[in-house]
Amino acid sequence: MIAYLTTIMTLVSIAVLIAFALNVQWGMCGMVNFGLAGFVALGAYTTALISLNGGGFFVSVFAAIIVCAVMGAIVSLISMRLSEDYLAVVTLGFGEIIRLVTLNEGWLTGGALGLPGIPRPMIDVIGTDHYEVFFLGICVVIVGIVFAGLEIATRGPFGRSLRAVRDDDLVASSLGKNVLLLRVKAFAVGGGITGIAGSLQAFQFSYIDPSQFTAIMTAYAFMAVIAGGQGSHRGLILGACSVMFLLEATRFLKDVVDVLDNSQIAAIRLILIGAGLILLLIFRPQGLLREYRLKAPKSSPSSADSTAT
Amino acid sequence: MTKNKDVSSGITRRRILRTGAAAALTVVAAPYIRPSWAASAPIKIGMVIPFTGSTGAYGPEMEKAAKLAVKMINDNGGLLGGRMIELFIEDSESNPTAGAAATKKLLEVNDVNSIIGYWGSPIAMASKQLLIDAKKVMMVSCAANAVTEQEHGGLIWRFQAKSTQWGPVGAKILKQRGHKKISVLAQQNPFIVSMIDPFIAEVKKGGGTIVDNVSYLPEQPSYRAEVEKVFGAKPDAVFIPGLLTDFTSIMKEVYRGGYMSKVCSLSIAADANGRFLKNVGAEVAEGIDHYQPAPPLSSPNYKKFIKAMGEPEDTVFLFAGNAYDQVWTAALAIEKAGTDVSSEWTKKVIEISNPPGALVGDGLEALKMIRKGEAVAYVGAGADCDFDTMGDQLNRHFLHRVIKNGQNEFVQTLS
Repeated sequence: MIAYLTTIMTLVSIAVLIAFALNVQWGMCGMVNFGLAGFVALGAYTTALISLNGGGFFVSVFAAIIVCAVMGAIVSLISMRLSEDYLAVVTLGFGEIIRLVTLNEGWLTGGALGLPGIPRPMIDVIGTDHYEVFFLGICVVIVGIVFAGLEIATRGPFGRSLRAVRDDDLVASSLGKNVLLLRVKAFAVGGGITGIAGSLQAFQFSYIDPSQFTAIMTAYAFMAVIAGGQGSHRGLILGACSVMFLLEATRFLKDVVDVLDNSQIAAIRLILIGAGLILLLIFRPQGLLREYRLKAPKSSPSSADSTAT
Repeated sequence: MTKNKDVSSGITRRRILRTGAAAALTVVAAPYIRPSWAASAPIKIGMVIPFTGSTGAYGPEMEKAAKLAVKMINDNGGLLGGRMIELFIEDSESNPTAGAAATKKLLEVNDVNSIIGYWGSPIAMASKQLLIDAKKVMMVSCAANAVTEQEHGGLIWRFQAKSTQWGPVGAKILKQRGHKKISVLAQQNPFIVSMIDPFIAEVKKGGGTIVDNVSYLPEQPSYRAEVEKVFGAKPDAVFIPGLLTDFTSIMKEVYRGGYMSKVCSLSIAADANGRFLKNVGAEVAEGIDHYQPAPPLSSPNYKKFIKAMGEPEDTVFLFAGNAYDQVWTAALAIEKAGTDVSSEWTKKVIEISNPPGALVGDGLEALKMIRKGEAVAYVGAGADCDFDTMGDQLNRHFLHRVIKNGQNEFVQTLS
């Protein structure tokens, strides 16, 4: 059971990272990104190709971050005149392009066969017995670093400017903010984070193929952000956990219920996941936790706690 | 200016109603809930197959076949002196990530000693390291060569012909039909991609030429562009390895365009247990050659299997038979080894499936013989079930059929 939970937690960490990226781009800056899975794939393939050719853990992860961040910046630049719905279409297109390239450029990506045998970092030192726990450790540390970085950025001028752009870019622009630069930065930061998520995915399965990076991955990220509360990094962790909890806990349904056959259970499972999210949206439309806001100090100085949400 | 809404946490009428409803539901559900510790020391086998997603159609028949085998074994006293087999089935959702999570759940929560099923190479590829690390047996029903290529410590057994074995058979069929100018219209998936090169090599060896080699993505809304490109060049014949849904759309498109080139495909697309003919009707399907790894059609065991599955006598199962054989192979190897420790009984798989033992088609008969200490070579419902040391099946024959007047007609068995 522990090892199963370890695997699930690792998958949650990867999902949280993808959701972080979406939260920077969409939650904070208001730019919809439907091509998330494409960015994750880009990160995963970059990592896989470099580590299969002898690059180490840090080199390959760093390269994935750079590639995805640059690609994020480029995507937001070429769509600089577009916003809202149009940007969504561009990102959707970007995701498709990545999928088609990974599927068709067999000389580079292995095509539909994918890339097997990606070396897992430090497996010789750790050994296979406790590797899962070690890898979860890496994932949690990375999630922690990204979370801390994002929280600091959110509370600083960068976060405030992004939210200003999201709420009304004209106002932000009239106050002297460089809206274009802020958007490019948000997309690059988000891209970089998806790069990390892709790297971890490649190391986790030590095998990647195009069918791992489908639209459902993007959908889960949106679910996590919506469930957690748009703009709130803490809420998002809760959101990603609840989505994964719904996905995995429903597996246990058929171990205890004996009246339905497996194909019925499988269908009901997916229905339950959907129903759970709908209920969440009905009863907590603002998400589990609210976005961070500065609070005006109250009369008693002891309660002026700026970190409260 | 906003004021935090005060959320009441006291007891309300709604809350009581909600709790009451939940409690009532639990009471109603209670008789259907069974504790997992009810049976004493069962032999646990897991199964990962698709019930949802693009390949979801194949899960139910595999489930039925595996349960059939388990029931036969349990009704006749189980294994290892009375231990029952307990089968845990998980949905792979046709998705590698979900398949790997399901695998991990079976290994860690249900503590299975082997996992069977695995329809679809990407799912098997994403899951196999988990089984190798846990030193548990994996039995797959997928074709990509890569699944058994790397060292796996004798833990992986493939109940399916390898991709590279499928390709040349198609080329042989087209050559027999006298076609020289040949085009390929192939789906982009690991299983099919790896059969294309061997197919092309075999065509060239037989003196044929390849006009076009076009790949398409599964789940496209339309295949008109691909069909026009390939059939517009008027090759003698087109080899279309695909799956049921896309092959159906392609053949409708070909019929609409009035193209005359002959078509050769795989039975999983052009038959799919009769679903293709139901989809397109006799006229569109007329004259399509198709083939697939053949179950031992003439063996009484196969006939008995079809009957037990409740299907018409001429059904050519591929995946159901494989699932059935996986359960039996595991059961026989466990009985032979005298233990359900995976790393031990996996060594006995070749011993109970390959000659020189007596060829036995009836699993129960084979169990009895093993208990008496006699050597058996199990012949399955999906294949002869002979393996090489890498876990790949030997002697896979292919069944070639052609569609005539809305019926599948037997042509030949090829290898």
